[in-house]
Amino acid sequence: MASSKQKFRPVSLHIPWTATVLIFAFLYAPIFVMVSMSFNTNHSVGLPYTGVTLHWYAELFGRTDMLTAMANSVIVGVGAVLLAVPLGLLAAIGLDRYEFVGKEIFRSLVMMPLVLPGVVTGVALLNLMVMTHVPLSLATVIVGQGTSLTCITIGEVFGRLQQVGRSQTEAAFNLGASEGEVFWHVTLPNIRSALLASALMTFSLAADDLAITFFLTGRDNTLSMVLWSMLRSQGSPIVNAAGTVMIILTLGLFSTALTLSFSRRARP
Amino acid sequence: MAETTAHRNPAIRTVNLRRTFATPAGQIAAVDGVDITVDDGEFVCLLGPSGCGKTTVLRMLAGLEEPSDGQIFVHGENVTFRSTADRSVRMMFQDFALFPHMTVAQNVLFGLSIRRMREKVSKTDAVKRAANYLAMVGLSDYHDRRPHQLSGGQRQRVALARALATDPPIVLFDESLSALDAGLRRQMQSELRRLQRDLGKTFVFVTHDQNEAMTMSDRIAIMHKGKIAQYGTPSEIYDHPNSVYVANFMGTTNLLRGRVERVERGDLAIRTSTGEIFVSPGDGAVGDEVTVMFRADGARLRLTAERSANNSVDTVVTNIAFLGPRIEYELTANDGTQIQVHTPATEGRRFLPGSPVSVAVPSEALRVLHH
Amino acid sequence: MSAEAAVPGIRERSTIRRNARLRHSTVAVAWLGLPVAWVLVFILAPYLVNIYFSLGSSEDYAFNPGFSLANYQRIVTVQPYASVLINSTRIGALTALIACLIGYPVALTTAFGLESSRSRFVVQLLIMLPWWASYLVKAYAWRTILGSKGLINSSLIHLGIITKPLGFLLYNEFSVVLTLTYIFTPLATLSILNQLERIPVSLIEAASNFGATRLEVFTRIVLPISLPGVLTGAIITFALSFGDFIAPALLGGSHSLMISSVILAQLGVANDRAMAAAIAMLIVAVAFLLIILMKRLERSSAIQV
Repeated sequence: MASSKQKFRPVSLHIPWTATVLIFAFLYAPIFVMVSMSFNTNHSVGLPYTGVTLHWYAELFGRTDMLTAMANSVIVGVGAVLLAVPLGLLAAIGLDRYEFVGKEIFRSLVMMPLVLPGVVTGVALLNLMVMTHVPLSLATVIVGQGTSLTCITIGEVFGRLQQVGRSQTEAAFNLGASEGEVFWHVTLPNIRSALLASALMTFSLAADDLAITFFLTGRDNTLSMVLWSMLRSQGSPIVNAAGTVMIILTLGLFSTALTLSFSRRARP
Repeated sequence: MAETTAHRNPAIRTVNLRRTFATPAGQIAAVDGVDITVDDGEFVCLLGPSGCGKTTVLRMLAGLEEPSDGQIFVHGENVTFRSTADRSVRMMFQDFALFPHMTVAQNVLFGLSIRRMREKVSKTDAVKRAANYLAMVGLSDYHDRRPHQLSGGQRQRVALARALATDPPIVLFDESLSALDAGLRRQMQSELRRLQRDLGKTFVFVTHDQNEAMTMSDRIAIMHKGKIAQYGTPSEIYDHPNSVYVANFMGTTNLLRGRVERVERGDLAIRTSTGEIFVSPGDGAVGDEVTVMFRADGARLRLTAERSANNSVDTVVTNIAFLGPRIEYELTANDGTQIQVHTPATEGRRFLPGSPVSVAVPSEALRVLHH
Repeated sequence: MSAEAAVPGIRERSTIRRNARLRHSTVAVAWLGLPVAWVLVFILAPYLVNIYFSLGSSEDYAFNPGFSLANYQRIVTVQPYASVLINSTRIGALTALIACLIGYPVALTTAFGLESSRSRFVVQLLIMLPWWASYLVKAYAWRTILGSKGLINSSLIHLGIITKPLGFLLYNEFSVVLTLTYIFTPLATLSILNQLERIPVSLIEAASNFGATRLEVFTRIVLPISLPGVLTGAIITFALSFGDFIAPALLGGSHSLMISSVILAQLGVANDRAMAAAIAMLIVAVAFLLIILMKRLERSSAIQV
């Protein structure tokens, strides 16, 4: 819309605006509550607020099992990125350029982990491992996470490729460039921020995920799994601290990723 | 053809209509003081290049945008701040704005089915009226189709039927025919004209295509940078443009700058870089800086040996283009001035690039614009 | 270059064409080979294995391959599977319904209430941020609020409105639906918002120009055209919340068991791999049906903006 045109208001928006404010409060309140609780000196989880402390964070970063779990989460995240992003990149370019038999089926298969509950994806992969007698470990977790998160990269890169259009690539080929040269000099610069955004999102989702990790891990725990078992029992306030760390991590990664993804898209 | 008599309550009248908005560079006026009057039963075109403000004027008339300054009167009533729903002015949008979730019949019925109309028109009458207007545009057989199943021209007609079904005295068109291909466009132009006359409505049509404006309008308002450059009948504007801008807009025009050297018995002798030009009759005083204009189709080409005594320019043909019923020449004069001449294809003589040719301009074809 | 760079004959032309096609295909395979192979091995094959497992049975903690639909029958007919299935469906449906109801006004104000595209982007970001925050943490966060020592109870006791903590806030279907709605509202909102943004402004201007009141513009134009977006959001929300196990495990208590929790139990304690596989395939089937339903609805409502 040109900025000289007024935006036309179809409905009296007073009621929806009030609802919107309330709903935003609804969306963000639990996060704020939990974050603020993580500084509470109270030893049982909950009110009253007895004082401010960083004790729980100290404990979180002091316990070896916690640190190992966090390290494992990072390993899973990085591993998933190293797997999903290149796969997704190849697939996205292939999908953008070529038509082939079964293209739609391929697309649906890739998108399946997105619309199915993590449990289902996890169980299916677990059964595959069982069948092929592959021992479970962080490696299998990485395989599972990377596979199910490939669609994120495909979505981002494909969308960017569609937006940028074919003419640059075609011009480069027409001028005599090879596949590798076109990829390096033309394609890559255009999708750089989309790739980065995908990497950040993939890392965040892989590190945080519980369902797939739960089924595919051997002896190792990620932070989510540790939290999960702590939460099943009563758990100490340390879960609030761990939760806050997870929130900051995931939110930080995702806001960066989305800003990167949209900064290019906004420009025509 | 409507004449510009002073009606007490013309269909539309604007007074100093302005629309400004703020940009980082300061205030910009999209519409910069427009005074225009449209009489009942007139077909008026707002003509101009993109960005000249014509669409903004239209939208203000429709009530979709609020003027920053000025007033709008519809049939004598001050509607400047009335919402778009409260004016008896219908708007035809460039993308047709058909409701995709309704059938053609439901679309046409829409204006009659809203709450405030339900008291005035009964359901059966409304349905009958909608069917009538749908038949008027020739699409009765398509009444239960959805918009996406129709071609561009058909959608245009449904939108028209929809607008007319509410029987508005005034209908505004926002470049409605731009999306259609040439043949369909011509067809729609005559249909619109016919409908407008038959129904006795007032149409205001925005376009950037001067042929379209010439074909359909009783009067044309040429706009330039938010102001009206000239407002008159097609022949007035074509034959008597009041500025270089208007002249250039309405057809290929040649411009020669010069100064009045002599004034003799109401004729002007003007010295230009290509020679002397006589304009008879002409207004002006010695020493005036003027621009002499003549249309490309107002000039004649002669062999240099046969050049006429007055108002001839010696040139060389640089390009020739065959455009069916006419031939377009590009010529360069001795001093480097480019001149364009259009001759009918029936004329017989063709001059190829490189040949020396004399351009003769009859005095009647000349116009003088003072600076 | 010899002056006799002759025009290729017919035989040579077809060879050239074949080589070109081969080269083209080779390049295509270079790009798509790996991803396609990977997808076949790690996405398709697991489901095939799953189907294989689901058709077998488990006796004495060992898996017996077989070929019967007995497991599937048990899910639908035998308790507790059947009631858990109904539970999950009900919870999924409620979540979808409430998430869409809540998301609609937010989408509406974002689409129509904001002037600049920059503020729209910021608001969209704010809507989606909670979605990207850690799933586990979001589920857990409600326990902090609803628990007997949680925010609500402590505040009410502190204000003297009640003397004992309210027990009905947690560990029941209410808290599960609440948490799931909380998690999925951004998703539903985004789906509705996407559809609302596709409505050309000219439609709204036209309807207003015809004299429709603002309410009429909403009910007759905006709302009907937005429905596919609402439906899409509802279906995805249903599919994902139907199969959630985290929320019921953390906030559900013993009565609101959901179908994915049963999978966990089957694989863990009961070691009934076949049953777990069958339940998983059932969920896949439900998701597929929903997606086909969604595509069917999209086509038949034919709202192509």
